[in-house]
Amino acid sequence: MGHTVVEARSITKTFFIPSVRRTTIREHLLGLFEPPRVEQLRVLDNVSLAVSRGETLAIMGRNGSGKSTLLKVLCGIYPADTGTVTTTAGITPILQLGVGWNPELDAIDNVYLVGSVMGLSLREIRESLGEILAFAELERFAGLRLKHYSSGMASRLAYAVAFRAVQDVLILDEIFAVGDAGFRAKCAARYQELRAAGHSMILVTHDPRIVDAFCDRGILMEAGRIVAEGSGAEIACRYQDSLTAPAARAVKTSV
Amino acid sequence: MASVSRAQDAKRGESFVLGRRLAPRSAVPWGLIWTLIRTDFKSRYHGTLSGFVWALLKPLSMFLVLTSVFSLVFRGDPTYRLDLLIGLFLWDFFGEGTKTGLTALHARGFLLSKARSPSWILVATAISNPLITIAVFSVIVLIYLNVTGRPPAPGLFALYVWYVFMMSVMVVGFALGASVLFLKYRDLNQVWDVVTQAGFFVAPIIYPLDVIPERFQLYLYLWPPTAIIEFSRRVLVDGHAPTLLANVDLVAVALTIMATGVFVYRRFAARAAEYL
Repeated sequence: MGHTVVEARSITKTFFIPSVRRTTIREHLLGLFEPPRVEQLRVLDNVSLAVSRGETLAIMGRNGSGKSTLLKVLCGIYPADTGTVTTTAGITPILQLGVGWNPELDAIDNVYLVGSVMGLSLREIRESLGEILAFAELERFAGLRLKHYSSGMASRLAYAVAFRAVQDVLILDEIFAVGDAGFRAKCAARYQELRAAGHSMILVTHDPRIVDAFCDRGILMEAGRIVAEGSGAEIACRYQDSLTAPAARAVKTSV
Repeated sequence: MASVSRAQDAKRGESFVLGRRLAPRSAVPWGLIWTLIRTDFKSRYHGTLSGFVWALLKPLSMFLVLTSVFSLVFRGDPTYRLDLLIGLFLWDFFGEGTKTGLTALHARGFLLSKARSPSWILVATAISNPLITIAVFSVIVLIYLNVTGRPPAPGLFALYVWYVFMMSVMVVGFALGASVLFLKYRDLNQVWDVVTQAGFFVAPIIYPLDVIPERFQLYLYLWPPTAIIEFSRRVLVDGHAPTLLANVDLVAVALTIMATGVFVYRRFAARAAEYL
């Protein structure tokens, strides 16, 4: 494989979960004499990984195992408590679809807004506006404000922008759950294209078939730790085992 | 502590999409800044000129109400109206700027979760609308002063522009610090509402500063808008500049607010996305 484009070394991330949540000054003042009771939740515990140019890495794991947090740390959206992330290439994240629009603006203005945050120049956005709307199949609704969009339409738009803005590394969270079969097929084709062009990808998914089909390598996470590393097929297999083991027991007891 | 090194930053200019090289990116994302200002204006005034005129009419209508009420109280003071108008518009700039700046990160937080974006830009551009309003107002006042035969000397008008700039520094400084704190303390905007309501009367907007006994006037200057409003009136209405020491003081206050804001911002901004 080529040289490393994203490298994470011993990433640790802890969230403080207050047992009593204080979000206002009033509550803070009233609670001044009461020591805050906080619970520490170690979401990422000594996680290290490296992705080479052109490689596709899958991150699997059950809900709450720290996958999404790891992606955010890799993108630089969350800071790590300890550890380092070194990137030598541009990263484009596609996270949290559905959020990320100004509902009062129409699709075109939102594309400008999000596109420029993702690093596109105004000229690049202007030139590819038609292409973006066509990919999202939203040309007819370009002038409609986002608050009137369905969630499916909004996420199609999110994909279309991100695909245009994609830099060297694409980071995807739960990506294959969007749109109808036709749109999913279009996305899948686009991923293949990007892979063929030599882009690296890091993706979180619960679908073993995708990992099997798309991914060179995979890691399996559990409670913030990497518990297994291997080829895509191996990890898909391990993940299914980890799911079915307790489920099988449950079936047995219920019978 | 966090020691996330990002080689990407050093090599930003070399970022490329395989097969097609992207234009080298400048350190300041002007495209983003322009888009934020444009869309802010658009969503605020629905992209119409009449929407913008309505925004200008707000302080003007207040001016009409107050002059008609106070013309009874402060009769015989010809400069009062102009003083009032300048005070109202500068105050409107301060109030609107701090209010929108305070909630800027929260309101535009959806962009923080999209990509690693320079969040200070989201805060700083939030004052663009109030800034446009005060700019339009300044032109109107300049025309008015010329028409009524008391044009300010160019140097004095430049000084007024400088005062507006100093107020912008204060507002952005406040907004930087307050917007990250607002993510943690969600009633900060209500606290600030109360402060600005009281502050409207602390600053000598609807009353002349002279009605306050001289030994107390100094205390009013502890409230930063007071100095901006008073100094602006001196240069535009009275036609003379405040002393050099007073001007240096003002710059010091503005820079202190900015420095404090930047300090608080740097302390919390990295985790901003987590608090959303």
